[in-house]
Amino acid sequence: MSAILRGHAEQLYAQELEELKKQDNGSRPENWLLSPPAVVAYLMGGTLKNGFEVSPKYIGNRRLMEIAVATLTTDRALLLYGLPGTAKSWVSEHLSAAISGDSTMMVQGTAGTSEESIRYGWNYARLLAEGPTENALVATPVMRAMQLGKIVRIEELTRIGADVQDALITILSEKSLPIPELNTEVQAVRGFNVIATANNRDKGVNELSSALKRRFNTVILPVPDSIEEEINIVKRRVESYEKVMQLPAELPALQEIRRVVTMFRELRNGVTADGKTKIKTPSGTLSTAEAISVMNSGLSMAAYFGDGRLTAADLAAGIIGAVIKDPMQDKLIWQEYVETVIKTRDEWKDLYRACRDLA
Amino acid sequence: MATHVLGIRHHGPGSARNVRRFLETLQPDIVLVEGPPDADPILQWVNNAAMKPPVAILCFQPDQLLHSVFYPFAEFSPEWQAILYARQHNIPVRFMDLPVAHVFALEQQWQEKRDHEKAASTPSTSITHAAATDTAPLPAFTHDPVAHLARAAGFSDGEKWWEHMFEFRQDNEQVFEAVTEAMQVLREAYPKKDAYMERLREAWMRKTIRQAEKEMYTTAAVICGAWHAPALQNMPKQKEDNDLLKNLPKVKVECTWIPWTYNRLSFDSGYGAGIHSPGWYHHTWHYPADDGTRWMAKVAALLREKQMDTSVAHVIEAVRLAESLAALRGLSKAGLEELNEATLSVLCHGEPMLLELIHNTLIVSDTIGEVPTDIPKPPLQSDIEKTQKRLRLPATADFKDYTLDLRKENDLERSIFLHRLQLLGIPWGENQAVAGKGTFKEQWRLQWEPEYAITIIEKGNWGNTVQEAATQYVHHQAQEANSLTMVCGLLANAMPAALPQAVETLIHCINNLAAATGDVLQLMEVVPGLVNVARYGNVRNTDADMVTNITSSMIIRICISLPAACTALDETAAQALTGQLYKMDDAIRLLQQSAITEPWQQTLYTIARQDSATPMVKGYATRLLADHQLLQGEALMQCFYFGMSHAQTPASSAAWLEGFLKGSGTFLLLDPQLWHVIHHWVSQLTPAVFEEVLPLLRRTFSHFTPAERRKLGEKAKQTNRQAPPTTNQENDAFDPARAWRGVPVVLQLLGIQINKP
Repeated sequence: MSAILRGHAEQLYAQELEELKKQDNGSRPENWLLSPPAVVAYLMGGTLKNGFEVSPKYIGNRRLMEIAVATLTTDRALLLYGLPGTAKSWVSEHLSAAISGDSTMMVQGTAGTSEESIRYGWNYARLLAEGPTENALVATPVMRAMQLGKIVRIEELTRIGADVQDALITILSEKSLPIPELNTEVQAVRGFNVIATANNRDKGVNELSSALKRRFNTVILPVPDSIEEEINIVKRRVESYEKVMQLPAELPALQEIRRVVTMFRELRNGVTADGKTKIKTPSGTLSTAEAISVMNSGLSMAAYFGDGRLTAADLAAGIIGAVIKDPMQDKLIWQEYVETVIKTRDEWKDLYRACRDLA
Repeated sequence: MATHVLGIRHHGPGSARNVRRFLETLQPDIVLVEGPPDADPILQWVNNAAMKPPVAILCFQPDQLLHSVFYPFAEFSPEWQAILYARQHNIPVRFMDLPVAHVFALEQQWQEKRDHEKAASTPSTSITHAAATDTAPLPAFTHDPVAHLARAAGFSDGEKWWEHMFEFRQDNEQVFEAVTEAMQVLREAYPKKDAYMERLREAWMRKTIRQAEKEMYTTAAVICGAWHAPALQNMPKQKEDNDLLKNLPKVKVECTWIPWTYNRLSFDSGYGAGIHSPGWYHHTWHYPADDGTRWMAKVAALLREKQMDTSVAHVIEAVRLAESLAALRGLSKAGLEELNEATLSVLCHGEPMLLELIHNTLIVSDTIGEVPTDIPKPPLQSDIEKTQKRLRLPATADFKDYTLDLRKENDLERSIFLHRLQLLGIPWGENQAVAGKGTFKEQWRLQWEPEYAITIIEKGNWGNTVQEAATQYVHHQAQEANSLTMVCGLLANAMPAALPQAVETLIHCINNLAAATGDVLQLMEVVPGLVNVARYGNVRNTDADMVTNITSSMIIRICISLPAACTALDETAAQALTGQLYKMDDAIRLLQQSAITEPWQQTLYTIARQDSATPMVKGYATRLLADHQLLQGEALMQCFYFGMSHAQTPASSAAWLEGFLKGSGTFLLLDPQLWHVIHHWVSQLTPAVFEEVLPLLRRTFSHFTPAERRKLGEKAKQTNRQAPPTTNQENDAFDPARAWRGVPVVLQLLGIQINKP
């Protein structure tokens, strides 16, 4: 293991990409590392002809990934839309890793993202010394991706202010970035495209203008359909976390994952798994991603403070943290859930005690 | 004879095109199609100009209408194209499946056998019905062996594989040979379950082919489901088939054409050989070379119609995405799935709601077919069609709303027509609640279902016109009915249907039943409804007098036996009876006829004074009399004191009070005399007795509105405070010293001079 905390997708899965490339004999769009079907195969996982096992990156509907990849082969940009924690950023990272071999061209959208971080900025020392020259220009990931013919990712597009968002229109429709100061422009090389992600839960988001929306194909990533699918996702991600973080703790039993996932699903859907009892829904999203981080923090707790075995007590703190986002409302909802649902389940006794101890 | 077997998929546009092309190059002199030979005589209508698919052949057993089968055809059904080709080129065309006459007879035999076995264990009648409706769709269409081939080719289901292999194929060299070969393998690997029926059917098909050969035809084209193709090419010995088909039972069967809908053709409606997307097939039939552009333009037009901004650029992008998706999946052409996904992603911005709209309007695209008016059909059917045309009420596949103004002649007739159909059990129109006031408006939602055809044939027994059939059918139902409520329900429906004869029968029937029944409560249940019916006379020009007469005679009957019915009732019965009294009283007020009102009031008097009557009913009768303003002042006080006097047990006093105050406390609020009586009664109760009656009192008061209760409470408070000394309330807030100070100002304003004291 290297000293890097978290490797990029193309580093972590370099071998898979390499094998896929070897096996790939489909026609590739220009500047693509893999052919479109191979990109889908990389995302969905499977066994290659030579028996090499590709791990699934996205667990869910294959058709969605096909639409996403097909979109990137056209000159339209891709907008991944969905609740927080539905693997939007994860998918976009792997898409760009598989297509361009580089997932680092990324702009994180925030309320403070300025037009300079999307188009280009200036190195003011140079600007003052040399005047406006190419050397004084600071290229953004967008500009570099255009020059290199790669995929650029824009995370949380709707968090960016509307005026800054609209800077993308020219880039997406003209595929060029004018630099009036130098009386020149950057024209995108083939292979350039944009993957944006946005979530539809946040308050205070900046809706895309219809001019911009028109330039994106939208793919909505849903929350997992079935509990088995969700458990599978959590299991894989927790295992890979353990690999990355080099935790000494024992791998969590499927049983523990199932409990956390069940709990999250129940609270999210407002009804118990057997469909018999109605439950109040807390204000948090309780996505699959949060279930994963609860498992991970439980693992860390077990590794550093416990005996290396994941127990209910290790998980309880994480669960409570994920559920209670609003100190007043959610606390009541959680207490009700603990007393009416968790308590009644015989095999959840340890979890009940752990939750009670913390409350 | 050269026999060319064309294995097809039912309702496949590609198959239909292949069949058409094949027939045009082959130029056969006879065409044989998989279908019921019983319907051969009506095939001549297929190329009639007025025949517009989707239509269906309806085969039914006239004496047992539960046995019926529909054979639907769309424009893109290969069978339809084959028949059409034969008719247009004037060559003979024949159906060659096992005749429905035999199928029904066989099914009946099996059913009887099963019933026998069942009867031995458990007697049941409902199963026959269920089984009969279950077998309605053709059994041959349900099995999908193609799924095995599809799985081998890496497709998720057989439909999709077939579509891409055969339906969307542009180049069709030797496609039928390929199909036959594929099916041959499948038949060997996966024999069907229902072997006997299958064998019979295929034997009959071969028999028809041999017959054609015997008749010296030279080239025969045989169109059948792909599955049967191999069985028709490798002919076994003639004798085997003939032995199999010997002595088949037979029943009488009739056939006709009826209009069908695309909705009924789709899988969602439960049709076994259904297709998912009739509208899409319709499109591919008409535009086989469309790469999705025309389809997307249609989608865009629909979205624009629904006020969704959709530009041409959107359409371009959607088509592009669909094509790249098809390329990604290794398909030669974008299918409906790719187009749908592109639509969702580009045009709908990922919003699946809009896709639902597209599914309903474009992909299923519900339309109804037409059949020529001169096709011989049951007289009732033609009468209905004529009336529909006359009243401008076309039968449509999608629902349509009508608001009828019964003061207009045409609308009145429409309403009568729809009511009559309802009486006949054809719920074409659904009567809905109207917004706004007035009895002259009716709101209807009309949606035609092809199955009505069978109901129409069934009800044809009762008469040749809608009016006649409805009258006779109601007549029949009235004879069968044995409860007053049911007959009155019929009457309520028959009145707006303007069926004087039926109404007369019903009234007669009601009269008889009313005379025979000893149950006053049943009579009371019916009267309010009848009074409502009588009220309709105004708008509908019906003879309401008849109903009024019978109503009054029934009310007299009630008046006579009601007092006896009010005695010795328990809590629940008394509650129910007061409810009935309320409705009766309402109805009588609505009628406003002194001949009825007087005896009714007299009855109420009797009940109110009757010793043995149940206290609650007694109390309510008193209350009604007070409402009629017949008991007032002294007399009412007298009744009340009597009802609440010491001699009664507290419980019966409370029950009386509950009856008396039922429904509204306003009465109590506004009558000070009454208030004092009750107040006095309550205050003189000993604590023990008070506790005993409290629940009853509570129940009475809980029925009042919150406002009434609040006011009653306020009033009770005031009365209590007033009780000991009569203090002057207005003086409480009055300070003479301060008031004096204001006096001079007032005097000055008035201009009066007074010497200061």
